[in-house]
Amino acid sequence: MSVVDLPKPNTEFPKLTVPNGLGTGPIPIAPYISQAWYEQERDRVFGRAWLCMGRVEQLPEADSFIVKEIEICGVIALITRDAKDQIRAFHNVCSHRANLVVHETSGKGSRFVCKYHNWAYRNTGDCIGVPDRANFFDLDMKKCGLTPIACETWEGWIFINLQKQPEVTLTEFLGNFGEVFRDAPAPAATQAFTVDVTSMRANWKVTIDAFCESYHVPVLHPSTLGDTFANDSNRYARPLSGNVRGAHRTMTTFGNPNYVPPESSLIERLAYSNIDTGNTLGANDAADMQALQNHPAINPNKVPNWATEICWLFPNFLIFYSPGGFFTLEFWPLSVNTTRWVARMHTPVAADVRQRFQQEHYSCRMAEIFLEDVGNLERQQKAMESGGKTEIILQDGEFLLRHSIETIQKWVASATVREALAE
Amino acid sequence: MQMQTSLPASLPNSLPAGFEALEPFVEYWAGATNDIRWDRRARASMAEIRSFYEAAVPRADEGLAYLEQFPLDAMPDDATRLLRLLLSLPHAAMAVEFHGQPRAAASPFPHGMHIGRGPWPQGW
Ligand code: FES
Ligand SMILES: [Fe+2]
Repeated sequence: MSVVDLPKPNTEFPKLTVPNGLGTGPIPIAPYISQAWYEQERDRVFGRAWLCMGRVEQLPEADSFIVKEIEICGVIALITRDAKDQIRAFHNVCSHRANLVVHETSGKGSRFVCKYHNWAYRNTGDCIGVPDRANFFDLDMKKCGLTPIACETWEGWIFINLQKQPEVTLTEFLGNFGEVFRDAPAPAATQAFTVDVTSMRANWKVTIDAFCESYHVPVLHPSTLGDTFANDSNRYARPLSGNVRGAHRTMTTFGNPNYVPPESSLIERLAYSNIDTGNTLGANDAADMQALQNHPAINPNKVPNWATEICWLFPNFLIFYSPGGFFTLEFWPLSVNTTRWVARMHTPVAADVRQRFQQEHYSCRMAEIFLEDVGNLERQQKAMESGGKTEIILQDGEFLLRHSIETIQKWVASATVREALAE
Repeated sequence: MQMQTSLPASLPNSLPAGFEALEPFVEYWAGATNDIRWDRRARASMAEIRSFYEAAVPRADEGLAYLEQFPLDAMPDDATRLLRLLLSLPHAAMAVEFHGQPRAAASPFPHGMHIGRGPWPQGW
């Protein structure tokens, strides 16, 4: 990244948009408010992309399962891990009269029984039981298994693809991202505290965009985050590096290295008094954090004052690596202007009560920050829908948003996935 | 997603000996889950939050020191109650130390956001 002249006092932040081959013009608002566009995204983006379902640790042992709903496509995916640790995905729909088979969202079981007429399935998908089978007509049980959904894993991340025959492999889909993030650690992946937003009134892109630029942080989160994400050397929280990686994209954000809780913040100081990372915006331990910092693609320029490496997996999944921890965010469209999302904050199992106290503080702060975003985004969606503007303007530090919408536009316009993925 | 507790909200001697002065705060502030503690703080007035914060902060370090003798996931009931009470301090601190008001400016309430499970080992 070349250093270019920028207004004082910020003279050392790389340009991101043009060097990454992106345009600089305004972006139309229609994709954030149009029903017709939403349907195109359903068919051409969510219907064709490999969708990240989360970590394999969410299936903690043999015969675990989870159920994930992809509302925009009307799909309910049953993801299973069998006795040999193979992970598979199926439509959670009975072969008899198409009722829902599994009602829970997660659990343990090697077989599933539909509660309508007791048809039974193994977690490999095979149909293994049909009551009063003799009363059907030439029933071939081999053809009565659960309908599979393409499912692959990469580095402990589970992906599904809703195309009957995916046009590209997961490896092709991940492209450069998959190469450079190979072997990235996933500290404390076995447990997370979760923040769930079952429905909020904003388009899914409006929502995910707010987690992928730091320009808003000093303004929207002045007391919860402001002093940790900006200081006099970077008043506008400019990013420290950023890369387009095929359909995906990554960015390093700035952290204020001088932040210490003020004298008056008695509980914040007590909470962080014994944390070994010295980081007041996280909850992981120093060894885990060092492993993250040693990875070549995380904070690639190895600047000391980084706050997060944001990895945006196209279209809707974020992995955050930070000196304080590791977490994911996933955003699921429910309609053109409603979104469900989930944050999974991976923190270690507390070893003692002081660490547990600190984790409560961390979870409080994250929830406060997320709630500030929710209120803000519902206002933005309403304003976008008012028709007062037809375009938005993006600055250089918002390049992830530009690459996201450019990539979505490309997928919508492309007849094939391979064409959408072409450079 | 909210978990039920088997503990009655308040009992005689509901906190360990020495912490009697915090007894009046147990019923409201020793919420059973992170999500309940968050919700209680969000619904409280600034005066209520301050009165809890000012009473509990001077006892917080001592309370944590007392609790250090027990495994986190196997505490006696009175210690669990004290832990839950102390875990409301970070929530109260959001109002006192960050916002200067019960909830962040312009953040919605009520809202559809919930802390699901965690932190661990308790999951509450
Ligand atoms: S619909 Fe499942 S058993 Fe009949
Ligand atoms: Fe934000």
